[in-house]
Amino acid sequence: MSWFTDRHFFLLAVVLYGLSTVYSVFLWRKGFRRDDHVNYFIILAGVALHTLAMTKRGLTFHSCPVNNLYEATTFLLWALGLACLVYSLLPRFKFLCAFTAPVLFTVGIFALMPSLDPPHGPKPDFSNWLRSLHAATILQSYGAFGLAAAAAGMFLMQQHDLKFHKLRAMLSLLPSIQRLELITLRLVLVGFVLFTIGLVTGEQLPRPEGKPYLSDPKVIWSALLWLVYLELIVARMFFGRSTRRFTIGVVIAFAFLLLTFGITNYYSGLHHQ
Amino acid sequence: MSVVVIGLSHRTSPVELRERFAFAESKIPSALQALRESGIAGEAVILSTCNRVEIYAATELEPSKAFDGLKQFLVASSHEVGSLRCDDRTAQRDVPTFGEEIYALAEPQSLHHLFKVASGLDSMVLGETEILGQIKDAYALAHQHKHTGARLNKLFQRAFNVAKHIRTHTNIQRGSVSVASVAVELADKIFTSLAGREVLVIGAGETGEKVARALLSRGAKSIIVANRSFERAQTLAAELKGRAIPFDDWSGEFDKIDIAISSTAAPHHILDRPKLEPLMKSRRQRPLLLIDIAVPRDIDPAVNALENVYLYNIDDLQSIAADYLKQRTEEITRCEQIIFEKARPFLESRENQPQMRHGPAAVRGLDASEQLPAS
Repeated sequence: MSWFTDRHFFLLAVVLYGLSTVYSVFLWRKGFRRDDHVNYFIILAGVALHTLAMTKRGLTFHSCPVNNLYEATTFLLWALGLACLVYSLLPRFKFLCAFTAPVLFTVGIFALMPSLDPPHGPKPDFSNWLRSLHAATILQSYGAFGLAAAAAGMFLMQQHDLKFHKLRAMLSLLPSIQRLELITLRLVLVGFVLFTIGLVTGEQLPRPEGKPYLSDPKVIWSALLWLVYLELIVARMFFGRSTRRFTIGVVIAFAFLLLTFGITNYYSGLHHQ
Repeated sequence: MSVVVIGLSHRTSPVELRERFAFAESKIPSALQALRESGIAGEAVILSTCNRVEIYAATELEPSKAFDGLKQFLVASSHEVGSLRCDDRTAQRDVPTFGEEIYALAEPQSLHHLFKVASGLDSMVLGETEILGQIKDAYALAHQHKHTGARLNKLFQRAFNVAKHIRTHTNIQRGSVSVASVAVELADKIFTSLAGREVLVIGAGETGEKVARALLSRGAKSIIVANRSFERAQTLAAELKGRAIPFDDWSGEFDKIDIAISSTAAPHHILDRPKLEPLMKSRRQRPLLLIDIAVPRDIDPAVNALENVYLYNIDDLQSIAADYLKQRTEEITRCEQIIFEKARPFLESRENQPQMRHGPAAVRGLDASEQLPAS
């Protein structure tokens, strides 16, 4: 079985995420009427294989598997999948998996590109636990932001259906829009706290010679992302921004994160070593 | 021993006729005893509701003979029992001759019929669930007085299982088919919970009152009533344990409320976008469900374009109720398929059933071994 690497486990996980995406389309076409747990168990199996892949990789290199873009992306997806499974246990939130599966699948395909997983070079000589904490909190915050975007997507669909008097709004087993908004806000807050911790710990890490911190593309990008989420939170909580605008903002912010994460990582002198 | 059913329902007869055949609950045990003593049935259950009167009997007789006996019994009971549930004004009138009003079904149709009735497929409101409770009560009563045995026990237990299966696996009971319950369902889709929600009723009309009552029954915190006649507002508010306010003050309540039901007789819109916009700002954009059941409409449809405002008029609510009903109707074939499948093993097992004693000598109550729990 030595030929069966962690990447193979991850590939199987992505196949399951793809299966879940197909099933999600079916659920969407059916108007999210039947809560039959199938999607939940597909994602559960996918996350189990995903965990196996990450554990195998971590054990191979004796460190938290966040050393290149492939590992960072799989960690992000793992956090997202795990959070999805936990939140899906809430009443009427089983369909969160249907909104999360497409993200897990598409980003999973992206992560499987061989160029994202080059052989590991010499390890940087700095405190491993702090780096692990930095990477874990940052990537978990992305997971929370991703899940918030999924909940926001559910909100926008349900709100649109209610506004335009679509029968689907009545027939679907989605949560009430007020509950969806609350969950979205809470997830953004959790993500924001984790992201802030991640940035603070990142600033504490020793930097290699000649690698500037503040002018690093990833640091600038992270600061920008932090400001975007801060604005979303402040505008919603203290200035009465409408729920619709808030949720659209959450979806756009995460789309921006997904689309630019790989690029900034690639050009970052601190992260791309 | 085969199972037959005889009876009349809202489909075959008007209420004036049904009520003459209705059995008072207190009279059912003695009626069942008489039925078994007559030798027509070895086991029997009488289901008597406002919409149907039916006798389910397990009998050794040929179905045609059993039907004659049961029909005579039913007609005779209508003269003797005479205590009615729905309206007894016409109770003492003579029972007319019958044509299609009384139906009589033998196996397998009798089994299919019971399963359909238990699943709400034969109800006036398609898919309603109240009938299942009524069947359970009727069965429990017969069971308690030992008028059921192996055959009917098994049949009724299966009927309850079939009803549960159909409720779980089809959309026959999904959705609301009345304006008031659609409004409640809408509120459920918007708010985390109805508990603690304040409801404003503008205009003390009948439908508005029904909607308000439905919301209260689902946990709404309180009702505020505004009506042109303050006296009428006070009366309704007292009935709903809410409070009345002068009609011109209703907009001042928008800060507090979550749901507004409007049903005034005003010839023009009493709430429009320019009026609602500042009110929404002061509400800090909390969701607001507006239910306009007035004709002509009280609320300008343009307000639905405002953020966090969900406006439904009477047509919208009725259209949702009609869609639900249509959806339920579309499920009938599927439900019937399930019923046929579930009835088949029961019919196949008939040959293996123990022979039941019947006739006057055997009517002392069935053996304990033949009794099943009435759940």
